[in-house]
Amino acid sequence: MKEVSITINGRSIKATDDKTILQVVDENNLDKIPTLCNDDRIEPYGSCFVCVVEVEGVNRLLPSCATKITDGMVVNTRSEKVMASRKTALELLLSNHYADCIGPCINNCPANVDAQGYIALIAKGKNEEALKLVKENNPLPLSIGRVCVRDCEVACRRDIIDETVGINYLKRYVADIDMGHMWTPEIKEEKKGRVAIVGGGPSGLSCAYYLRLEGYQVTIFDKLPELGGMLRYGIPEYRLPKKILDTEINWITGLGIDVKTGSEMGKDFTADSLIEEGFDAVYLAVGAQGASSMRLEHEDETEGVIKGIDFLRDLQLKDKAELKGVVGVVGGGNTAIDAARTAVRCGADKVMILYRRSEKEMPAHQAEIDAAREEGIEMKILTLPTKLLRDGNKLKGVECIEMELKEAEPGERPKPFPVEGSEFEIKLNYLIGAIGQSVDISFNRSDNEVDLERWGTIIVNDKTMETSRKKVFAGGDAVTGPFTAITSIAHGKRASAAIDKFLEYGVAKGAPEKFYSFKHKFNDVPEHELYHAANVQKEKMKELEPSYRAKCFDEVELGFNSEQAGNEVRRCLECGCSEYYDCELRKYSDEYGINIDDYLGEVRKYKVDYDHPFITLDPNKCINCGKCVRTCAEILEVAALGFINRGFQAVVKPAMEKHLMETNCISCGNCIDVCPTGAISEKYPFKVLGNLPKEDHESVCSFCSVGCRINYKVIDKDLFYVSNSTESIINSHNEGYLCSKGKFGHRYILSEERISEPLVRRNNVLTNVSWDEALDHSVKEVEKIIRKYGPESVAVFGSPKMSNEELYLLSKFARKGLKTNNIASFSNLVYGVEQDSLDDSFGITASTAILNDIEKSDVVVLVNSGLSSENLIVEQKIKAAKKKGTELILINSSEIKLTKFADLWIDSRKGTNTVLLNGLIRELLNTKKYPGNGDGIGSKDLESLKELVAEYNREKVTSMTGVSLDKYEKLLDMISDQEKKIIFIYNIDSRLEKSSNDLKAVGNIQSITGRVSSPGNGIIILRDYSNSMGVFDMGLSPQYLPGQIKHGEKGEIISLGKQWDMDLSGIFKPQDLSKKLAMGEIKAAFIFGENPFNETENFKLLTGIEFLVVNQMFIDQTSREANVILPASSSLEQDGSYTNSDTRIQMSKKIFEPENGMENWRLISGLASGFGSSGFDFDSSDDIFNEIKEVNRLYRDAEDNFCWNSRWEISGPGIAIYETNIDTIEQKKHSMLYSEEYFDSKIRNNLKRF
Amino acid sequence: MVEVKVGLGTCGISAGGYTVYDELKIEKDKNNIDFELKETGCMGMCYREVLVEINDDNGKWLYAEVDKAKVKKIVEDHLISGNPVEEWLVKIGKSESEDPFFEKQKRIVLRNCGEIDPNSIDEYVGMEGYSAIQKVINDDSPEEVIKSITDSGLRGRGGGGFPTGLKWKFTREAPGDKKYIICNADEGDPGAFMDRSVLEGDPHSVIEGMMIAAYAIGAEYGYIYVRAEYPKAIERLRTALGQATEKGYIGKGIFGSKINFDIKIKEGAGAFVCGEETALIASIEGKRGIPRVRPPFPAVKGLWGKPTNINNVETLANIPWIINNGPEAFASMGTEKSKGTKVFALAGKIAKSGLAEVPMGMTINEVVFEIGGGIKGGGKFKAVQMGGPSGGCIPASMGDLKIDYDEITKTGAIMGSGGMVVLDETTCMVDLAKFFLTFTQNESCGKCTFCRIGTKRMLEILEKITLGKGEEKDLDLLEELSYKIKESSLCGLGQTAPNPVLTTLKYYREEYEAHIRDKKCPAHSCAALIEYKVIPDKCTGCTLCARNCPVDAIEGSVKEIHWIDPEKCIKCSLCFQACKFDAIEKI
Repeated sequence: MKEVSITINGRSIKATDDKTILQVVDENNLDKIPTLCNDDRIEPYGSCFVCVVEVEGVNRLLPSCATKITDGMVVNTRSEKVMASRKTALELLLSNHYADCIGPCINNCPANVDAQGYIALIAKGKNEEALKLVKENNPLPLSIGRVCVRDCEVACRRDIIDETVGINYLKRYVADIDMGHMWTPEIKEEKKGRVAIVGGGPSGLSCAYYLRLEGYQVTIFDKLPELGGMLRYGIPEYRLPKKILDTEINWITGLGIDVKTGSEMGKDFTADSLIEEGFDAVYLAVGAQGASSMRLEHEDETEGVIKGIDFLRDLQLKDKAELKGVVGVVGGGNTAIDAARTAVRCGADKVMILYRRSEKEMPAHQAEIDAAREEGIEMKILTLPTKLLRDGNKLKGVECIEMELKEAEPGERPKPFPVEGSEFEIKLNYLIGAIGQSVDISFNRSDNEVDLERWGTIIVNDKTMETSRKKVFAGGDAVTGPFTAITSIAHGKRASAAIDKFLEYGVAKGAPEKFYSFKHKFNDVPEHELYHAANVQKEKMKELEPSYRAKCFDEVELGFNSEQAGNEVRRCLECGCSEYYDCELRKYSDEYGINIDDYLGEVRKYKVDYDHPFITLDPNKCINCGKCVRTCAEILEVAALGFINRGFQAVVKPAMEKHLMETNCISCGNCIDVCPTGAISEKYPFKVLGNLPKEDHESVCSFCSVGCRINYKVIDKDLFYVSNSTESIINSHNEGYLCSKGKFGHRYILSEERISEPLVRRNNVLTNVSWDEALDHSVKEVEKIIRKYGPESVAVFGSPKMSNEELYLLSKFARKGLKTNNIASFSNLVYGVEQDSLDDSFGITASTAILNDIEKSDVVVLVNSGLSSENLIVEQKIKAAKKKGTELILINSSEIKLTKFADLWIDSRKGTNTVLLNGLIRELLNTKKYPGNGDGIGSKDLESLKELVAEYNREKVTSMTGVSLDKYEKLLDMISDQEKKIIFIYNIDSRLEKSSNDLKAVGNIQSITGRVSSPGNGIIILRDYSNSMGVFDMGLSPQYLPGQIKHGEKGEIISLGKQWDMDLSGIFKPQDLSKKLAMGEIKAAFIFGENPFNETENFKLLTGIEFLVVNQMFIDQTSREANVILPASSSLEQDGSYTNSDTRIQMSKKIFEPENGMENWRLISGLASGFGSSGFDFDSSDDIFNEIKEVNRLYRDAEDNFCWNSRWEISGPGIAIYETNIDTIEQKKHSMLYSEEYFDSKIRNNLKRF
Repeated sequence: MVEVKVGLGTCGISAGGYTVYDELKIEKDKNNIDFELKETGCMGMCYREVLVEINDDNGKWLYAEVDKAKVKKIVEDHLISGNPVEEWLVKIGKSESEDPFFEKQKRIVLRNCGEIDPNSIDEYVGMEGYSAIQKVINDDSPEEVIKSITDSGLRGRGGGGFPTGLKWKFTREAPGDKKYIICNADEGDPGAFMDRSVLEGDPHSVIEGMMIAAYAIGAEYGYIYVRAEYPKAIERLRTALGQATEKGYIGKGIFGSKINFDIKIKEGAGAFVCGEETALIASIEGKRGIPRVRPPFPAVKGLWGKPTNINNVETLANIPWIINNGPEAFASMGTEKSKGTKVFALAGKIAKSGLAEVPMGMTINEVVFEIGGGIKGGGKFKAVQMGGPSGGCIPASMGDLKIDYDEITKTGAIMGSGGMVVLDETTCMVDLAKFFLTFTQNESCGKCTFCRIGTKRMLEILEKITLGKGEEKDLDLLEELSYKIKESSLCGLGQTAPNPVLTTLKYYREEYEAHIRDKKCPAHSCAALIEYKVIPDKCTGCTLCARNCPVDAIEGSVKEIHWIDPEKCIKCSLCFQACKFDAIEKI
């Protein structure tokens, strides 16, 4: 490695030559080079060629991720050639990416309302959030939810299986729920700028709404007496009750929008006059309200011939028309159906629709056509009126001609042609023409106002909606001609964004083009691709009976109830990609403005593997970056995934066409995090929220004692998952890697069975009460017991997953508040965890090395640990170290996953490891390789030790342990070399293998060989839970006070007593709490976070209990027995620190407010104060942490990511003398923690299918 | 004693060599004649297999196209009666006049091919075999060996043309306790079979070449990476290795020195990309054969992370000759920058297809016309395709081009490993480009974006063009993609994959344009663009065409002029082939 100088984009940089161009560019912030296949944690690969750069003197482009720098190199990261090549690389990748970025429903909606998103939110019961999402792009969900043409449903893929999802019904469902209070977004700070909106229809209203939210002053002008445009004057009451429309319009104008009705452009004002008046921008949304002519002679002067649109409008402006006799309606669109159904309601005896094509070609919505027929309307298809039959000036009928359809170009509707000689007459009293509308151009008084198309629509820039006039924008039907309300809304929003830009910067700018991949770009999606979707019947919306509704204008459709909505949302296929926001391919595609049209050709297609309960493999989205393959093979050494096939067909999949579940996959989910696209994605416990943004929240994993950094992707309180791909997580001690517990286990927090209110047992029934009541009741009852039996009859238990702050408070609460030393964690107490094992040797029992020492060691000796399932990341660290040359010795009676990686496997009989270790001590002492035998070890101690191990000669050890002499000698050989650095790893909680004094023996070995604590040497004590270490550090044991102060450390005890303002020496007495429990001496107990009754055997421990207070997130066996249940908050709902197995203190910040309204530390403080104890008035969790730093000798220098063993002076090396037992410990062990139980039953069990 | 040799390379075997061999044996036993019957490798004249050479007092007599029936006569007339069967001879005894196929060649690599029995180490030894390795062990330091090879001007015959001496030097100088030499025998170009013939005909020369290389770079282990599709080559290599081990030529302390050397054969599964050095190494290591980024080069970090030198079969076969004859002898042949000889596999529309070893500097025309005998069937020479899928086309107009690494590279083609496909006027250049691209597309390992998807898109465009659906913009797109693929691919496969397209576009753009603009294939090769028509003047009304037409597209009565209905015609070409009067034309 040497330092070299290179030039990047003209800048001279010095760096060492072991770096790649990409690393140097990143480290010096010279550019953001895109890359899809690079991962700094694994060897460079160089396959995507998106990161290419130009290097002077090299005629090719080089992948910067895989090219090491050399002296004098001149690099250009942004040349034209580079940018063009990257663009093509992305285009090629996407030309073979058979996938949908977003749901076709969203894409086909002119306003791009996130249908998949709001459906997912409804599925989660988040109706208000769903509505908020709708309102981001559509401010009129009440109205549009009733009248939309549903382009979303047209695109809905569900149609391929059975019927489309009732998307619009669902929108209406949430809008109806909202009607009571009308959720309103916050209006931004007032901005300078006044905008005139001409036309109060959907387009004008939308533009006004979004501009107002941005903080502008908005005035709406409309020539008619009320706002609403075609929604009011074109859509009949029975489809959209005007009361509902009024609610919605009033809500919008209520945001502070001026309204001037009865004011007509072209007559009362012009665009010019508005600008002169001081408006900074004008939005023209005048609509297309002129009716098209039927081109029949005397059409305009015949009594009884009505224009459909006038007919509907007049209904709103005047009294209800009375129609008697036969009414014919010409046309096949929604207006024709509306007019026909309205005619029925106006008393017509008979209504018929005359349409020149067949029903299939009718543009009207099928549901509307069906409803019309139900109401008795006759469909006269293939009929064209050709002549009015008149009685004087009055209509008496119409002459028609039969039509026939002829094939047209593919994609076009068939064309109708008259059948010669087929003329016939129909008697009619009224003829309503509903064949189309046009823009009434009278608003455009002078020619120079805005440019129009030949047929009268306004010409605009379709990105910004700007007209030919500066400051004047336009949208809606006035631009498109008669079209849909949702398009008008889309225009309104688009114009609002452009006007905002225009007012702020003087230039209107459209939103940048986004690239979306869609399956249907490649082909029609065949049914078999949706094989995973279960058949669910479409919900039908309730309607008024036809016989009833035809007589009145009551709303026909009655809406969904919650059950129907619940059923309907289940039908959504979640087409849009779950990785929409995280997909790097997508991100770069927008950045490089790609277009795949030139490269559309064959596309690879694969069956998606949905078989794994938590991981979906969709090779269609795979870009062959190989990150998953390499991570799985090189980091985890599992190799469940590999490359299959060659050439264009090459793809990542498990071998032999297996499903992921049939491979040796360990379900750690790290492949999900490294996948740059959605090819490997997580199956969430909720519906896929397509393109809802997610926030990153870094935290600590709450499972085992490795204390991995973890990142929660949070969409909403109970919509989150774990994704470890952020930069800081990747740079953390676990390098971002997780095991299946970390990746999927946190779903327990999402469980719907959370307890959110305190419960008190009254008359043997648990009843909801207030917090105050629950706390008061607890205090009162426990005080009674104290009065009766004394404070020694009360005990406090805490869980090894609680934060240091909670545990510290519990410790203080017991001793100070309750004046008892009965404090422990059941998880340790019941299973007799030997926390004091190293106390004799080193003064304190904790890891003497940190996890990162593993890679510095020459030999790792793993004693009694089955790492794969308990502490996978430690296993991964060992594998990584092995690659650098570290040797691994396993001491374990049975084979574990690591066995095949071990250099030596000592298969000692269960329970004989102390014998084995004694033997090693004997040999080490005898070899005299370690003459000093540990500086500082008293010779007396050594003599005792020699005596202890004297009998364990090779013969005895091998015969007792069953280890062959050959292996035993090899083991000795491997650990005897003085020059070698050796780490012992020992799981103190694991009970499968150990005999009782193994750890003491390990301590002795490290002491006599002088390897207690230096880089690459020492002991790492693994534990099972995230804060198993904190339990002891915080004194949750009758043996320890915070700081692992032991009985006999008088000075320390007195000093802590002073800090706590009490006499501790009287209280901190040796106790055998197990015995006291068994004897029934404990009468009242507080159990925090643990579930000892998970095992019936433990009931006997609590036989004496008269009053039980339980703090728990869920109802479990223990809380069922409680007198008071205090709902607990999850680790995501409170701040706190956790200490992992290498004494690393890590801070976790609150992500959500507690569901129960109270963080645990507040609740413990509350209890303590209830007992009249002082010293519990903390303002925050940080406050408690500061107190811990003051009083806990181990935590004096504590801060985030600090390992306290780095500052703690080990009082050894020392020697422990013990008895050599060879009895095995009973294996059975149930966790008493809900999270573990959840993981075992809901996650691990699911993985055992094959 | 009289020697009778049967050419039993794969070419000879597939033409029925063993039948001839067995028949000779039967005749020999039956007639109790005293001659030595021997197997030998490919003699080069693959177009006239089975070849039998009789070596008697009157010289070498080479019989071509021998079959079972001819054996008896040859035995009786020539071997018993001493009267060579002149009509079947291509080489006549002591006569000076050799077949021009051999006359113009200079055989160094092929020096023993077709001469010795590849299954006999003694015969190899008899031809100065294993003397070169002994010489270097006894007389030369590794540095001196490297200097000799450098001075000879030998360049890598696998296609890259990298100076072999320099490559050895790099590996020699790379720090490392263990080093490897690998023989790359993963010959994969369509139409190329030089390496196979050498391995089948003279395996010891390759082994000896490896030993010299190993000595020079300081390697104790060698691998021969040979494709499993070459069973005969593998068999003969195994035999050769067995013999060499038995004789103590390889193993510990070779030739009385302290040098150890061992060779293993690794059979490749036939992935073209495994000819690429880093992919080849991955494959030997048991991984998926995909190339990796270079640097580090194999010379520094190769097999199992150790310095590794990889040479191709032909390169290695040159080595003993250079040591025995001196670098000057080698350097005296060829051009300024390309020394020695090059073996070519002549294929395509050439009259005499087979193996030819020619001195560098010979012109393409000389190879095609003088050695290869010109175009088969008397057609017009259009171009040669050199370098296989990584190479390109050199048009006939450039026939005077000298065979030289750099001269050929300038044309857009490459020397490659020696495949030379000769094309005549009936070859459509678009179709040809499509053929080679289909090959590379299938053989891409699928790692890099441009090679995996880019070549696929190019292929789709070519397909479109040959179907008459091409658009004007397609040619620009093809060129653009070609350059991008070349610029942004990790290994040689991707970097050269567009060459067949680029060279055909360069020299035959008008042919592409004809497909696109006129919807015509000038070579009348692309089925979708051909129309079959009856030439009225030539049609005799024999009805043969109509009877052969599988879709009844041809109308006409006996002795009347026939007519092909273009609507019905499926362009199967059967009528065209059937007509005896050339009365059907493709337009």
